[in-house]
Amino acid sequence: MPESSPVGNFNPADAPSYESILQCMRCGFCLAVCPTYALTNRERSSPRGRAALARAVAEGRLEFTAAVGEEAFFCLDCKACSTACPSGVQVGTIMEFCRSQEQNFHPPSVPAGILRDFILKRMLPSPDMMETSLLPVRLYQRLGVQWAVRRLGLNRFLPDTLAKMEGILPTLGRPLRLNIPAVIPAQGKKRGRVAFFLGCAMSLVFPDVSRQTARILAQQGFEVVTPAQVKCCGAPHLAEGDRETARRLALINLELFLGLDCEYIVTDCAGCGCALKEYEELLAGHADHERLRLFRSKIRDISEFLAEVGIRTEELKEVPLSVTYHEPCHLVHGQGLSVPPRQVLRQIPGVELREMKESNWCCGMAGSFALKEIETSRKLLERKLNNVRATDADVLVTGNPGCHLQLAWGVREMGLKQPVLHIVELLGRALPK
Amino acid sequence: MTKAVIDQLRNHVGAKNVYDEKEDLLVYGYDATPEVSALPDVAVFPENIEGLRAALAISRAEGLPVTPRGAATGLSGGSTPINGGMVLGLTRMNKIIEIDEENLTATAEAGVITIDLFNAVSARGLFYPPDPGSQNVSTLGGNVAENAGGLRGLKYGVTRNYVMALTGLLADGTEFKTGGKCVKDVAGYSLRDLLVGSEGTLGIITEITVRLISPPQEKRTLLASFRDIRTAGEAVSRIIAARIIPATLEIMDKMTINCVEDYAAIGLPRQMEALLLIEVDGHPAVVAEEAAGVRRILEEVRAAEIHQAKTPAEAARLAAARRTALSAVARVSPTTILEDATVPRSRLSETFAEIERLKEKYQVRVATFGHAGDGNLHPTALADERNRTEIEHVHAFFAELYEKVLAMGGTVSGEHGIGIAKKGYLLRQFGEGGMGVMRRIKNSFDPGGLLNPGKIFIDDASSTKVRTEGGLHA
Ligand SMILES: Cc1cc2nc3c(=O)[nH]c(=O)nc-3n(C[C@H](O)[C@H](O)[C@H](O)COP(=O)(O)OP(=O)(O)OC[C@H]3O[C@@H](n4cnc5c(N)ncnc54)[C@H](O)[C@@H]3O)c2cc1C
Ligand code: SF4
Ligand code: SF4
Repeated sequence: MPESSPVGNFNPADAPSYESILQCMRCGFCLAVCPTYALTNRERSSPRGRAALARAVAEGRLEFTAAVGEEAFFCLDCKACSTACPSGVQVGTIMEFCRSQEQNFHPPSVPAGILRDFILKRMLPSPDMMETSLLPVRLYQRLGVQWAVRRLGLNRFLPDTLAKMEGILPTLGRPLRLNIPAVIPAQGKKRGRVAFFLGCAMSLVFPDVSRQTARILAQQGFEVVTPAQVKCCGAPHLAEGDRETARRLALINLELFLGLDCEYIVTDCAGCGCALKEYEELLAGHADHERLRLFRSKIRDISEFLAEVGIRTEELKEVPLSVTYHEPCHLVHGQGLSVPPRQVLRQIPGVELREMKESNWCCGMAGSFALKEIETSRKLLERKLNNVRATDADVLVTGNPGCHLQLAWGVREMGLKQPVLHIVELLGRALPK
Repeated sequence: MTKAVIDQLRNHVGAKNVYDEKEDLLVYGYDATPEVSALPDVAVFPENIEGLRAALAISRAEGLPVTPRGAATGLSGGSTPINGGMVLGLTRMNKIIEIDEENLTATAEAGVITIDLFNAVSARGLFYPPDPGSQNVSTLGGNVAENAGGLRGLKYGVTRNYVMALTGLLADGTEFKTGGKCVKDVAGYSLRDLLVGSEGTLGIITEITVRLISPPQEKRTLLASFRDIRTAGEAVSRIIAARIIPATLEIMDKMTINCVEDYAAIGLPRQMEALLLIEVDGHPAVVAEEAAGVRRILEEVRAAEIHQAKTPAEAARLAAARRTALSAVARVSPTTILEDATVPRSRLSETFAEIERLKEKYQVRVATFGHAGDGNLHPTALADERNRTEIEHVHAFFAELYEKVLAMGGTVSGEHGIGIAKKGYLLRQFGEGGMGVMRRIKNSFDPGGLLNPGKIFIDDASSTKVRTEGGLHA
């Protein structure tokens, strides 16, 4: 097979590989699972259509037009198409490359660009800065302004995005990264030593969830090492098309975690897990191949980890609840993990799992999509929550901070009864005190 | 295409149902057929019959060719607009209109997805058997227009066997309705039968009434593996000769097994040369007897292994995996060229031998799978369209294979239709006389020649300004 890889009208830096695009044989199997196609019934917003657009650009039949950029950002990168595609085409990833191309061909306006660069290149890479930048939000929440804004419906007057952001953010506590012990000893018979990859969103927005993760790991007999020097996994940068910063962060994390001498690297953030598992591709040519392979082999989502090593269930208490499980795209499609979370749920005594329809259909959060495409996102969320409601389960469980925020917001907006819990929160309830 | 025409279309069909941006046109120029793609001038998606009528009127006024399009999963280039003009998408006419439990019929718009109809009738305890491998995506209109077959075709027949009535429009705007809910109906010419399999060249189908049956009470799924593909062919011939008609009798060769296993990971035996997926269904007593009969034959021909699915879920997984065969095979190489050769079932083993011989002769990589019980095989060449010599070898391979197939009394298409991919072969099968009759039928339905020009008939091709990705195939 000639390995000629026409870049065509793509910019040579970070162009999608021609082979990956040519692999699409246009069977259309992916049409049935693509949320944006389901909403628009427009071929170019389908995986097959997006692959065809990328192909036309690569073959010089189409410029990298504004519409191509729009499609790249309209794609949720939910990777449902990758799961469905028998030919192994990864349209989400191809669109990630196109997002980075978009920055080249149609850079954002100056002020928007400065803000974007500031967030991506300065704020996200620096946990300290992220934590302080969210301080005003905390203050604002403490003072009860948030309550007032919500109660008085003042957020109607904020621009849509801010309003959604305001609505979606819960009350923030102290960032966990700063006060989680660097090493937590194993309880009972020691089974091993694991590194805990603490994600930004988990540390800032859901510190209590990650505290549960660490507690569960320790209770299950693992010594837990949580390095405070951890950097953002790079997923937001990939999503925004900033591959350069993503690589910079990935290199730091790679060295940091390989230096910890742990058998596994566990995370409770599906998005982080997915990004970490893709360092191998992201850093190909930028780091030693063997080290990348080794790193990849250690990454585990918490549910994957627990299912693999087996949960010690002897001391667990009853949690008499019916639960329904929403599969985060980055878990089910990004990492192919559908069975392990369910195995974990079934092992919690008293829990009754009630499957919802389309449990693996995107909730509409998709990174910053929920803030940018508010209407589309809301339609996806409604579809999801109608399926949740139909189960009449007591709680809604998931495993990713993005989904968690979006679902919790939707539950409030649509007046559903189900509280949203991360899978480790549910398991945490079964743990002895 | 002038702005005025686009505006007119927008006014009549709805602004959001008309696309003329280049990015849209690019993705309405292909179907699942390799190497073929063309640019239409506009793509129109009517939501109802009025919109459709208006779109056709504009096409007549402007002399725009019209190419009907379902889900574009076709494998003969049927919905590629090789003469430009208007792509007429039916996917926004997608309502299931009625499920008539007293008459055992269902009526649906042409854009309904095949599996949606299956599920809707199944929820009422009824069964719509046609199940092309593309059923999760393909439309009923596309199925009717191609007379699609499926995994259950052996026992239950193809789409044609279920179509009772069709409604639609001819290119000149004439509304037609043919057939009805009567199970007996010999009034006049069977226009319905002409339209089934007409590949969008005679009329636009808008509504379809299909016959429903009771689902089988029980089924049993067997998976048999073979060390030699000819033995698998022999097993098929002997099962048919023993007058056992399984619902499903599908074959996969080694290459296919491995590709499907790469995707589905369900534990298929990778080292085997061929697999047969056999499903017998019906009354429990009959099922038991037929399953035993099949097993006996498999043992007689010395199948390497015989495995029975333990649960309905396992059986469903096996069938689903077989449905992905074509797309899974496409992982191996950039270009996947599949054919649709069909032979009388007693000649299967011979056909497999022939495929093996031609693979050697032309040095091409070929994966073979298909509806063995129907004699319908899909030898699929794995190539790279950038390598023109390789592509030429592939075409030579198929040309010689089709010679043999026709000599055995076979047909050049079992289910995928002629489209643009097989025009030459069709002429060989029917001769000038047969093609002439078809031409006259085409002219009486569509004297203006607006409907899907350039398909089926070889002489239309000369006037086409085909824009392809790397040359037409076949
Ligand atoms: C992976 C895969 C597996 C497949 N398996 C099978 C199989 O098992 N059996 C089988 O038979 N086929 C199979 N096919 C081929 C294809 O799916 C069928 O031919 C299907 O019926 C096409 O339906 P569609 O809606 O995609 O039609 P399209 O591809 O859009 O159109 C097909 C033809 O029908 C015409 N048409 C579409 N809608 C209308 C309408 N409403 N009125 C008039 N003309 C219309 C078009 O002009 C075109 O000529 C497979 C294809 C793929 C990619
Ligand atoms: S992306 Fe995959 S599933 Fe979709 S059309 Fe291409 S090959 Fe088929
Ligand atoms: S990643 Fe999701 S939204 Fe994007 S093309 Fe695939 S299925 Fe559609």
